[in-house]
Amino acid sequence: MSQSRRALLGFLLALPVSAQAKPLVIGAIPDQDPELLQRLYGKLARYLETELGVAVVYKPVTDYVAAVTAFRVGDLDLVWFGGLTGVQARLQVPGAQALAQREIDAQFHSLFMGNKKSGLRPFQDLKGLASLKGRTFTFGSESSTSGRLMPQFFLQQAGVNLEDFKGQPGFANSHDTTLRLVEAGSYEAGAMNEQVFLKRSETGAVDYTRIQVLWRSPAYYDYHWVLNPTVQARYGAKFAERVQTAFLQLDLKVPAQKEILGLFGTQRFIRTQNRNYAQIEQVARQIGKIK
Amino acid sequence: MSVQTVPRSFLLNPLLLLLGVGLFLILSRVEQPWFNPDGWPLLAQFLSASLQPDLSAELLMITVDATLVTLAYAVCGTFLSVLLGLVGGLGSSAIWWELVLPGQKGIWLVLRGLLAIPRGIHEIIWGIFFVNLWGLDPLVAVVAIALPFGAITAKVFSEILDETPRQPLLTLIQSGVSPFVAVVYGLLPQAFLNLLSYGFYRFECSLRSAAVLGIIGAGGLGYQILLSLQSLRYNQLWTFFYALLLLNGTVDLLSALLRRRLGCTPRIALPQGKLRSVRPQGPVLLVVSLGLGLLVPFCFWYIHPDVSKLWAPHTGELLAQLGQSAFPPELTMTTLQQLLPLALQTLGMSVLAILVAGVGGVLLSFPAASNFRRFLGMDAPWGWLFLLGVRGVLLLFRTIPAPIWALVFLFVLFPGILPGALALGIHNLGILGRLMAEGIENLDQRPLQALPGASPLVVFSYGVLPATLPGALAYTLYRWEVCMRETVLVGLVGAGGLGRLLSEQLSSFDYRGMTATLSVLILLTFLVDVLSTQVRNQLRYGINTRKSGIIKGGS
Amino acid sequence: MLRLNRSPDRLAKSSEPHLQVQGVTYCYGNTAALTDINLTLYPGERVALIGPSGAGKSTLLKLLNGTLTPTTGTVSVLGVPLADPNPRRRRALQQQIGTVYQQFHLVENLRVIHNVNAGQLGRWPWYQALWSLVWPQGIETARQALARVGLPDKLYSRTDRLSGGEQQRVAIARILVQDPAILLADEPISNLDPARSHEVMTLLTHCGQGKTLIMSLHALEFAQTYCERLVGLREGKIFFDGLVTAITPQQITQLYRLEP
Ligand SMILES: Nc1ncnc2c1ncn2[C@@H]1O[C@H](COP(=O)(O)OP(=O)(O)OP(=O)(O)O)[C@@H](O)[C@H]1O
Ligand SMILES: [Mg+2]
Repeated sequence: MSQSRRALLGFLLALPVSAQAKPLVIGAIPDQDPELLQRLYGKLARYLETELGVAVVYKPVTDYVAAVTAFRVGDLDLVWFGGLTGVQARLQVPGAQALAQREIDAQFHSLFMGNKKSGLRPFQDLKGLASLKGRTFTFGSESSTSGRLMPQFFLQQAGVNLEDFKGQPGFANSHDTTLRLVEAGSYEAGAMNEQVFLKRSETGAVDYTRIQVLWRSPAYYDYHWVLNPTVQARYGAKFAERVQTAFLQLDLKVPAQKEILGLFGTQRFIRTQNRNYAQIEQVARQIGKIK
Repeated sequence: MSVQTVPRSFLLNPLLLLLGVGLFLILSRVEQPWFNPDGWPLLAQFLSASLQPDLSAELLMITVDATLVTLAYAVCGTFLSVLLGLVGGLGSSAIWWELVLPGQKGIWLVLRGLLAIPRGIHEIIWGIFFVNLWGLDPLVAVVAIALPFGAITAKVFSEILDETPRQPLLTLIQSGVSPFVAVVYGLLPQAFLNLLSYGFYRFECSLRSAAVLGIIGAGGLGYQILLSLQSLRYNQLWTFFYALLLLNGTVDLLSALLRRRLGCTPRIALPQGKLRSVRPQGPVLLVVSLGLGLLVPFCFWYIHPDVSKLWAPHTGELLAQLGQSAFPPELTMTTLQQLLPLALQTLGMSVLAILVAGVGGVLLSFPAASNFRRFLGMDAPWGWLFLLGVRGVLLLFRTIPAPIWALVFLFVLFPGILPGALALGIHNLGILGRLMAEGIENLDQRPLQALPGASPLVVFSYGVLPATLPGALAYTLYRWEVCMRETVLVGLVGAGGLGRLLSEQLSSFDYRGMTATLSVLILLTFLVDVLSTQVRNQLRYGINTRKSGIIKGGS
Repeated sequence: MLRLNRSPDRLAKSSEPHLQVQGVTYCYGNTAALTDINLTLYPGERVALIGPSGAGKSTLLKLLNGTLTPTTGTVSVLGVPLADPNPRRRRALQQQIGTVYQQFHLVENLRVIHNVNAGQLGRWPWYQALWSLVWPQGIETARQALARVGLPDKLYSRTDRLSGGEQQRVAIARILVQDPAILLADEPISNLDPARSHEVMTLLTHCGQGKTLIMSLHALEFAQTYCERLVGLREGKIFFDGLVTAITPQQITQLYRLEP
């Protein structure tokens, strides 16, 4: 919901609440429809509240950079980051920990999409990306792992530079937008998050007469929950484990929890750790997204 | 009207040279594809959605809330910037230092020069900076408006104070009254209405800024518009557009009305010489103070900025951290090689933008001036409709934030300086056109009456045009500097130039690189400022450099 | 230069001088407006400063109230040099000097009460001064002063709506409230008709009772009627200085003659 209404609420609650401890503030990078995020994280906040026994508040964030910055400043305690933003955040906040992720996040893929009218044909090999030379192309958000970082990396490996496209490449703010732009033909090709595509495909929101998958990238680690070390001082040294357990315990058999898992598009959450992201960090340094 | 003639050397001035360079730069990029015809269908969808805005109850609720948020940011930002402006304006005025340290020349010049620093940096950059200190607090947007606008206000206020007749003040000083009290009694009452009028103008600018700040996540209408544009929800988008139009239209109208009631001259038609002390008609002051007395507290309550963050020790720590990661700026040979062409592109973008804004502004300002119909003999009712239509277009142009225009142009243009320049041009056209129309409406009628019996067209080309063009040109030149600063805005949404680089550096948390880019950008802004001031002086338009500050606006 | 019998003996003996100008020269840039002026004024004296345009009358008065600082020489008020580097002490001294101008120099946007109160601002702490703009202070004092200048009912009028003569009387009321020891007036009546001029001159000489009064005048007959001592200035120098009765018509003609 809007900031102001939260502010208003915060104002009304300020006196009684301020006597207690500061709530656990959760957030997420805005890679999808914000209304969907609001619904999803509202439910998750309530679940975490009962599991952890502390007040939990969801704070919507408007862009990737703001999410990382807010995490560093201490405005956000627990954030659902992408691969790249998670690495960026942990580099800026020493002691921050990657805790949990969905099963698919350990084996994540990008899809290169093509408009049907463009005459682009699907290909099996990374080398096929060379066929995108001289075409118009759009990435997802600048900081997106699956929509920008890894696609640019694979393009580089296939010998395609950013100057090889027709015009400058675009940057769509979310994966849904990329899908729609390529579908409408504004761009002949684009790169996006596979999981978002599959979800849209399931609900029949993809017009296969106008768009097709050109290539599925190799797997890499992506989304994960990152916890700010400052919470330990607030809630005790074991808090990180408790948060991790809360995620791992989400169970398909409990209806309320099934809904949360469904909204995240997964069967369950699994453990993850900082080490899994060494490859992402390396690619990011190579492309210049980490200095 | 001899002072307003354009000297011949005008043809040889650096401005034209720059125009040439800018156009060359733009043309030299044309061999790259810039037009994307595949985007038409989406653009058509976008435009046709204007007829079917989403009017569901839920969205209307969000719209009302977002409108209030934008308004509240603007009100709080203006309030603080006027406070800052009062303090800074007195502190950087020549008269104050003459009173306090007589004989010491030039302190005020130094102080006024220092004010140029916060002024030279766009609100959005301040916003990004403060997010790094205060996170997601609404305080960020309020201070991001208040600081640069406070500096602009301070400069203008100091000029107003210095141009207010000072004898009454000196009389008080001679009878042994302390400088501060003497200023409050002897100077402020005379300058007050001019200050108030400027404050209202600032409010119009703040409102536009508040919408733009939505784009870095401050919330409000700008944010909602960006969101629905980027998620391609055009029907919702138009609801927000209409809300923003309504808000800006109302504020512009009220502010123009108030300024007329206060008897203030429009900024573009400033009299030469000392400022008049103006007289309000009717109980304007009472209404204004009552309105402000209610509105300001309400707005602070509505967004509820956490003011304590201003002096929280945590802020200091974060500032130190930020300083460490941002300095020294990364100014190696390679970055300079990267920065230079981008700087030229940015300059070209600003030149193209100001060309669009200036030419379009002049063309549209005539039909937008209420006294224009007389010259063409259009007293029929459709003349009024035409007038309203043109004014509506100008309002639309200036209301929609430049980055949003850029995104609209990106439907059919590839990212680059062209969509950015067009976006900036259109936005500033709306602002310029309105100010120029105001200037035309306040035209000195005497020279026109000296052409009795002449046909309307003759009156227009010999009476109206020569009288308005120098002012319009001077203001356009001033606006060029604003365009330069705003190139950052359109860069952030993917248009080209230094702004684009800045956005990439921002998402890479490359603070050293950002410092370097920003330095170049500030340098460019100063360069443009100096150039435009010089050309304005060459034009010998009645207002000289010092006075030109009064017509200084903002975004 | 003619030098006639110096200031009246009776006053010279009675007390310390109120105003003393010693060897004062004043230059605007390179041009000297006043050269080597010596002048001593005793309590209760009423002095008219006369002379042709550009003689330096306004400049001298500005030196006397501290608006200008002499290029060389000193101006002392009540025995203290006016050019005190300490602003607080200088302000305290300036409170003992009241000035009335030809153009009144009132703050037109303020109501009459505030313009009258301007005379006592120097005695108020700053917060009282500010508060007075919201909630007028010292109303009784202001009312009495306005009554004395014949404007008892104009306390809350808007200053810019008063006539020229009324504005001049408000300026005098301001001086009454200030209650200085020394009263300066620079052409106080040159904008008024003869009847108003007499009123204002009466007021000035009346409220100046016991105070030292020095005013520049172009109207000679007023100078001779209302003052007892005449100081003639010509080309920045004192041309004569003496009792009204002692100045001859020839001296006056000499003072105003066109060629040097
Ligand atoms: N601000 C100034 N700058 C330079 N010269 C000045 C200034 N003010 C006065 N003067 C010069 O100083 C001389 C004395 O001027 P002043 O105003 O004292 O004359 P005055 O006797 O008051 O004349 P008037 O009767 O016309 O008022 C004149 O020659 C005048 O030109
Ligand atoms: Mg004079």
